[in-house]
Amino acid sequence: MASDTTIPVGLPSAPGITTLTAPPGGLSAFWASFRENRGAVLGLIILSIVVFAAVFADFIAPHSPLTQYRDAVKAPPMWDAEGSRRFILGTDALGRDMLSRIIYGARVSLFIGLMVMAVSFCVGVVLGLISAFSGAVVDTVISRVMDLIMSVPGLVLAILIVAVLGPSLTNTIVAVTVVFLPRYVRLVRASAMAELGKEYVTAARVVGVSTLYLMFITVLPNCLAPLIVQSALGVSEAILEAAALGFLGLGAQPPVPEWGAMLADAREFIRSNPWIVTLPGLAILITVVSINLMGDGLRDALDPKMQRS
Amino acid sequence: MLPYLLKRLALTLPTFFALMFLTFVAIRLVPGDPVEVRVGERGISPERLAQFRHDLGLDQPVWKQFADYVWGILHGDFGTSVVTNEKVMTEFFTLFPATVELSLFAMLFAITIGVPAGAFAAVRRGSWYDQTLMGLSVTGFSMPIFWWGLLLIMQVAVKWGLTPVGGRIDPIKFSFATPTGFMLIDSLLSGQAGAFKDAVRHLILPTIVLGTVPLAVIARMTRSSMLEVLSEDYVRTARAKGLSPARVFGLHALRNALIPVITVIGLSTGGLMAGAVLTETIFSWPGVGKWLIEAIGRRDYPALQGGVMLVSAVVILVNVAVDVLYGVINPRIRNG
Repeated sequence: MASDTTIPVGLPSAPGITTLTAPPGGLSAFWASFRENRGAVLGLIILSIVVFAAVFADFIAPHSPLTQYRDAVKAPPMWDAEGSRRFILGTDALGRDMLSRIIYGARVSLFIGLMVMAVSFCVGVVLGLISAFSGAVVDTVISRVMDLIMSVPGLVLAILIVAVLGPSLTNTIVAVTVVFLPRYVRLVRASAMAELGKEYVTAARVVGVSTLYLMFITVLPNCLAPLIVQSALGVSEAILEAAALGFLGLGAQPPVPEWGAMLADAREFIRSNPWIVTLPGLAILITVVSINLMGDGLRDALDPKMQRS
Repeated sequence: MLPYLLKRLALTLPTFFALMFLTFVAIRLVPGDPVEVRVGERGISPERLAQFRHDLGLDQPVWKQFADYVWGILHGDFGTSVVTNEKVMTEFFTLFPATVELSLFAMLFAITIGVPAGAFAAVRRGSWYDQTLMGLSVTGFSMPIFWWGLLLIMQVAVKWGLTPVGGRIDPIKFSFATPTGFMLIDSLLSGQAGAFKDAVRHLILPTIVLGTVPLAVIARMTRSSMLEVLSEDYVRTARAKGLSPARVFGLHALRNALIPVITVIGLSTGGLMAGAVLTETIFSWPGVGKWLIEAIGRRDYPALQGGVMLVSAVVILVNVAVDVLYGVINPRIRNG
């Protein structure tokens, strides 16, 4: 059980995540456990490449993602008989370099994923803790609102929100965040409730720490393990959801090189230019798979309760 | 059983009410005047405009509009499409069977492959087969299904010519009444030669695309649930007393392993509806998902509002049904 291995909490020097979630030895024990999962390591390697591409897109990408080469519209990729070294993965219907658009697309997708994760993590923690710590009325209101959000199918709710706010990258992030918020709130609320009954919380209360201190310094660190796992998997789901919105024309708008939006009008090229259809989706799949593999490894390493899956 | 069902249904009432509030507020926030959407860019006399506003109830105070909206829904009136002038409810239920047909087959596809595949992986834990299946499962779970659909159309439909590219039936070869809305049944009823076969051919690719994510989830869930059951004492006892492996795994283990799997299947309804939006859009499948997306494109907000309401209502009711069924299967939680 996680609680047996945690350091006594409530001490003023709040320890970092790693020392709290793993037994003494912290980071190295975590890494030893994570390394055992070959899939997770593979995921980490691939994800590192994607992150590297996103961060250094300006240096790696051979062309600008927005420049339209009118002389090379729908140029096939390098390995095709008619392909050339100039455009390694070919160009799209407007003559923009596919490889550069995919590299810059990594930036857009990871940005969406991380923003959604960060905002829903923070808001989820605050709402979840308020829900767990306050009286029945506030708790019921928050829980009911979360139930309501969860009763509408995720993508349908996101579509409704974007339809109301108008399609854009920012509104995509808003919509997907709203959709994913209930999971964080519920998770924090449930684990905080479980912690509240424990003796160390009573002890901290007897000592007379303030409620805020109790919420964020005493209880929260003990709820982090499942939350970190949820956040990791949440990034990949957010990327998928945002790509779906982009595909439907309700997400990032042209000419932003978003992977989903790049597929929005790919249908018409199914017969003639298959690479325009294949490549952006492959980028989505590879990124999402690598994050999910890594999330599984995180779960095994951080959350002993869920190790069996 | 009945009191439990009634209690669960009663618990959904606040959610329904909140849902009405949410959809009402959301549509109010949409920039632009619904009347202008309806009359378009053309100039219109102030009298006609006032008449339109009155017809749509927009000259009433907001609280009265909400009360009317709730009153209408309670009487089965989900508003009128501003584009087709049809009742939203009528449009929804004309298209709904197409979505149900697709979702049912997707789920059937996911269960018939996912359960045996996952159970077998548990029995052969750690084997080459197990690892491959889990790898495939992560891939399926991570699949952007709109792209998966495009790939399948590209390979199977266009390149190999094995299936049609989209739609539910070939409208050039076949034309018949659709009394049930389920194309497989209607095509049989029509008695036209080859109609049923054509309907099946149209169903194959959308079924695979919509069923992929549930398939991955079910295979994974069956495996982990089966692993847990296999370490139980009664399985060891059954083995020790000399029952054949088929009997132990099939009868003793799998039956108990399926209980959590059924929950997962039930909980996938929401995901199926979301997936249906994408799948129907790719395959031009005339269901409620494609209709919702088209409603946005046409700025048909009453249709969007009523559509979201109805889709959510379906998901909520299915979840209640699953809960109740779960009680039937697993008596331990019946009085929970």
